[in-house]
Amino acid sequence: MAVLNPLKSADHTIMQDTDLAGPLVFCLAFGASLMLSGKLHFGYIYGIGVVGCLAMYMLLNLMSMTGVSVGCITSVLGYCLLPMIVLSFFSVIMSLQGIVGMVFTIATVLWCSISASKLFVSALAMDKQQLLVAYPCALVYGVFALLTVF
Amino acid sequence: MDVPSGFRQSSGKKKKASKSQNRPQLFEDTSVNPSSGFQQTDAYYPPQHHDPMAMQGGGYGMPQNQFPGQQYMNDPMANMAVQYGTSLAGQGKEMMNKNLEKYVSASKIKYYFAVDTAYVGKKLALLTFPFTHSDWSIRYNEDEPIAPRYDHNAPDLYIPVMAFVTYILTAGFVLGTQDRFTPEQLGIQASSALVWIIIEVLAMTLSLYVMNMNTELKYLDTLAYCGYKYVGMIMSLLAGLLLKNNGYYSVLLWYSLCIVFFLIRTLRVKILPHQHDGFTSGSKRSLYLILTISVVQPLMMWWLTSHIMFQTKK
Repeated sequence: MAVLNPLKSADHTIMQDTDLAGPLVFCLAFGASLMLSGKLHFGYIYGIGVVGCLAMYMLLNLMSMTGVSVGCITSVLGYCLLPMIVLSFFSVIMSLQGIVGMVFTIATVLWCSISASKLFVSALAMDKQQLLVAYPCALVYGVFALLTVF
Repeated sequence: MDVPSGFRQSSGKKKKASKSQNRPQLFEDTSVNPSSGFQQTDAYYPPQHHDPMAMQGGGYGMPQNQFPGQQYMNDPMANMAVQYGTSLAGQGKEMMNKNLEKYVSASKIKYYFAVDTAYVGKKLALLTFPFTHSDWSIRYNEDEPIAPRYDHNAPDLYIPVMAFVTYILTAGFVLGTQDRFTPEQLGIQASSALVWIIIEVLAMTLSLYVMNMNTELKYLDTLAYCGYKYVGMIMSLLAGLLLKNNGYYSVLLWYSLCIVFFLIRTLRVKILPHQHDGFTSGSKRSLYLILTISVVQPLMMWWLTSHIMFQTKK
């Protein structure tokens, strides 16, 4: 539930139980909803997910004082994919290439990345770096959005 | 011990032959009668060269009722192999880490990523409008690089890395609006931009080396400075998206001026003061080098963005 409310602050114990089942389900749901609009992109989702997780792992290890494990990062990134699934369901109904669709996409990407960065910052105790962490998350989710829109 | 050592040499592990003589001292006596066990299994060795473990396990099977895996570990040769393997793996990892430390040391790179939001904001403002900034010197303490968190003039690697990735994504976005986007394009853009950056860093480092200058410019600094122009490229791509050709060219021109100014100022601080050996031609040479580097940057910016903005009319 911490994912769905990006404005509330999260406590740092939330990262101590990391599971990979939720993110896997979310990735499959994302791929399924993309399939509903005619794009078979499962391979790309998997590839981009792996590359994004590895990149965030390297970056967060370099930027924080304490290190993180890959499982932690994968679970946070996967859970915060939830709004992106909502976006792709919308793309089935209406095309996202107009102005309204663009606004919607940007709002969704921002939502995903703010909640992901909030979880990362609270778990790793990085002060004043939330925006810096949010930006790479936004990039990763932006790639997913690119897959959804085009 | 004749047949076992002969068997071992045929399997190619010479080390075990020397260690096999110590067999009785190294291991606890876990089988009922080890010597008789050996005589029993000796007869198995010559005909079956390819499957010694199973035969030996079969030879030991009678006196013990432990599960087959345990018998496998009781075999001294298997134990030896496991120990040898783990020690070799440990050594290999150590050696690799040591060699990697020389080139890509994680502790040095961490310096470049120790940024915070205020620094990033100030640096981006500096890249957009460097003309009013007056003090460009970098404060060093005790000859170690200073973290960008504390000194706004120090180079960092966060901005160049983010700018590079954002550039690739923006390029994909622009291509998408022109209906030229496929996910393979992302890979193509990424690899070509990466190659260009590597060429640039190599050229800069090589020219510094050839001109025989002692600067404190490490190659990570060079990477940082080459990466700052990606910020300008992103802005010009976005402007081109919004305002078509005029917007693209004007923003490109503005950011070219800014990066030329920025680089001249910064490199002057880093390269020039170290010419205390009295060669006046040396300082002129370094000035030319700085000018060349700074002028090449806008050319690169134009080259890497033009084929995205416009359909390839070639």
